[in-house]
Amino acid sequence: MNEPKPSDGTVEIHLQVNGHTHALRVEPRTTLLEVLRERLDLTGAKPACDRGECGACAVLLDEQPVNACHWLAVQAAGHAIVTVEGLRERPEFRPLQEAFVAQDGGQCGYCTPGFAVAAYAALRDEPDPNPLALRWALVGHICRCNAYEAILAAIQDAGGRMRSR
Amino acid sequence: MESPLHIVGTDALRQGLAEKVRGDARYTADLKRPGMLYGRILRCPHPHARVRAIDTAAAERAPGVHAVLTHHDATHGRIDADLAALDPELRYVGDEVAAVAAETPAQAEDALALIRVDYEVLPAVFDAREALAPDAPAVHPGGNLVDGQRVIVERGDLARGFAEAAQVFEGTFRTQVHGPVGMETRAALAEWEGDHVTVWKTSRAVHAMDRPALSRALGIPPERIRVICTNMGGGFGNKDESRLASIVALLARKTGRPVRIEYGRAEEFIAGRNRQSTENHLRIGVAADGAPVAIELQSVMNAGSYVASGRNVTRRIGQGPVYLYRCPNARFEGATAYTNRPPGGSFRGLGAPLGHFALEVLIDEIAEHLGVDPLDYRLRYQVPPEGQPGQRTTPPGQHIPDEPVEGGVPFSSNGLEACLLAGAERFGWRERRQPNGTATGPRRRGLGVAMGVYKGGVGREAQALVRIARDGKAHVAVGVVDVGQGSTTILAQIAAEALQMPLERVEMTMADTAHTPPGHITAGSSTTFSTGNAVKLAAESARNRLLEHAAAMMGVANAELQGDRFVARGDEQRSLGIGEVLERLPEDVQGEATLVVGSSEVIVNAFAAHFCEVEVEPDSGRIRIVRYVAAQDSGRIVNPRMAVSQVSGGVLQFLGIALREELLLDERSGVTLNPSFLEHKSTAFVDFPPIEVLFPAGPDPLGPFGAKALGEPPVVPVFAAVANAVANAIGVRLHEVPFTPKRVLAAINAQQGSAR
Repeated sequence: MNEPKPSDGTVEIHLQVNGHTHALRVEPRTTLLEVLRERLDLTGAKPACDRGECGACAVLLDEQPVNACHWLAVQAAGHAIVTVEGLRERPEFRPLQEAFVAQDGGQCGYCTPGFAVAAYAALRDEPDPNPLALRWALVGHICRCNAYEAILAAIQDAGGRMRSR
Repeated sequence: MESPLHIVGTDALRQGLAEKVRGDARYTADLKRPGMLYGRILRCPHPHARVRAIDTAAAERAPGVHAVLTHHDATHGRIDADLAALDPELRYVGDEVAAVAAETPAQAEDALALIRVDYEVLPAVFDAREALAPDAPAVHPGGNLVDGQRVIVERGDLARGFAEAAQVFEGTFRTQVHGPVGMETRAALAEWEGDHVTVWKTSRAVHAMDRPALSRALGIPPERIRVICTNMGGGFGNKDESRLASIVALLARKTGRPVRIEYGRAEEFIAGRNRQSTENHLRIGVAADGAPVAIELQSVMNAGSYVASGRNVTRRIGQGPVYLYRCPNARFEGATAYTNRPPGGSFRGLGAPLGHFALEVLIDEIAEHLGVDPLDYRLRYQVPPEGQPGQRTTPPGQHIPDEPVEGGVPFSSNGLEACLLAGAERFGWRERRQPNGTATGPRRRGLGVAMGVYKGGVGREAQALVRIARDGKAHVAVGVVDVGQGSTTILAQIAAEALQMPLERVEMTMADTAHTPPGHITAGSSTTFSTGNAVKLAAESARNRLLEHAAAMMGVANAELQGDRFVARGDEQRSLGIGEVLERLPEDVQGEATLVVGSSEVIVNAFAAHFCEVEVEPDSGRIRIVRYVAAQDSGRIVNPRMAVSQVSGGVLQFLGIALREELLLDERSGVTLNPSFLEHKSTAFVDFPPIEVLFPAGPDPLGPFGAKALGEPPVVPVFAAVANAVANAIGVRLHEVPFTPKRVLAAINAQQGSAR
């Protein structure tokens, strides 16, 4: 996307994403999701509802999962953002990826990065979660292929893989 | 004797899933091109209107705006018979009026508000029966009955059948508007190079639908259009049939820049394509012994403002009623009506789940009335492997339709009885089921069963290209789209099996008109059966050519592959390693196949029997799914783990529709009331029941390695399985989907009222 001119009512922000700080001019109404996807080309967070209802755009903000469509970029400045592209560089992400593939925890895959980000946070907070707690931890994520059973199995499997490392 | 299979039938890992988990897989809306602009669409606020005048000057002057597109720019052909690329007549709240391309999404959106449209508001009609009345406002010039005629199919002599019947049962069954709701919304990106254009889009048919539609809308030959679908975020029988790609390509041509548009969620709910509402009146006459002797279904489908594939949706309502039970006389009549509701289209199963809902509930009522266990009634009167009674009407040598009507034609395979028996056994039907309405207490359990018959996977024409390269890789090119169901993996398994090569050496290329042979639409659950057969044939041909090369290199007549060596037939001492043969090949070895899939002798259909256990609260009307067993006859299962995922996902998707999902429209304004995930509730992570999936049937003689259709058949019996379980729990029949607490309470009250 072309850089808007400063006179357009844009403001300058410093956004820390995946360990790098980006100086950007944005309109105040621009969402974090749009900046990540259209300005930084980090497209792992998916647009699906643009109003915080489905979890497909989940990212970590100060290590907590949030919907990137629900944050304005100006609000996110000053926080540490980690997208799935940053998360996958961490060694703890590897078992998650392996478990999702082994358990067939996704079909069309559009919601999958969002689930993976949320699952990462859930397993960090509770390495051996019971299935019901896990369901509630990820209640804000919709999968229209309805791969829920396999996703649940994948996250539990990932927990096991993490604990055995 | 059949040789043992090594790759088909195994749980190969889903291709591309690792990239999807990591966020590497690029979907259409993830793509960018240098200098790309963002487009947004202006939508009509009236249910029916005509554009008298449109003033785009202010919008064109707005910051960042490069062009505004109106119907004046869409001067070439139509996308579909009833759909122009842009049209001055607007037919629903949300219809496309104009589009803007600008430097940023916000600039494009801001500019929409600056377009001044003078609308002549026209009378609107929302109800299908009202739309079919002679004095109704015409939604399209040809009148509101789509195609000017009803779909009628029949077998035998219906009037004689009813005259012979000892008893006649009937009921009216309704279904509401169902949104497919893929997580990815529709998106398209177009880039011109001279007089050639490349369009990346969400798609089910880059060859069969997108290219011809774009060719008409842009006024250029198909050879100058390349269409690509990189990854699809959920198809579910949907995601084409709109103006989006044409608008994007026209905007890109007008601006001289690449343009991308992706729908917002509300746009997808409203201006995507939904399965519209139906009213189905079913009559079944039975003989003194209980056997069906006449079945008649009359349906009216509300197609909304544009019909797209809606005709096929209507036709498929009739499939279950016409064919699921052995019956000499059957008739289906379906009317499809244009109204000023959002446009209709196809969604997983088309009309089949709707017709099966009516059929399988009324059959349950008949069995109850006759005092026969509903499982036994189905075991007794299900359509047998030899098909329906009567005379074949398809001329000899011609392909038998896979939405059959005629009698006298057997199935290629029919595992319906196996599904009923295996499902009932797993479910504990015999041990656990009590008579209808005998449960007591504030929460009542009930068990229900329902069957399904569906197309078995016959597409029209299927093509495949298989090239064995000298590096030992096999490249498979097919034009069909993996819509998220996993066909990349399934077709690779079929290719590897036919090539006798490890799966890792097979590389798939799909859904790009520049690099694949023509492919059929990913619809009718046809990919595995149709393109799978083409892939198998092309792979066998490539493998045979490789064997010829190996034989020639050894100076013998015939060679065969044993492990990783080519061995001379009849002289086991002479052999060559695969690597040596590949190295010495003069060129890559290629096999290709083009086939018209199907049979002139048999019907290819898939079958299902589902068993559902519910818990119902009569005081609140709430239904909870306790247990669900889905037994499917899809022939041989190419990949059991992925097949379980697809069946489980399909059942859960339709349990959501059975219990909750419904797009609501305000009939005064034409406004869709709940176009969001919050107000249109899909099945969620906290409320899904476990789905037990069984595949008790054997291989099909015509399917590739015995496989038949799998994508849609699992959704067909779901509504009826739930309704019949509810009837068993509380003794009340549900005749309208979804079974919301309000409708359940209304059904309870209606029954108590009539009992008084």
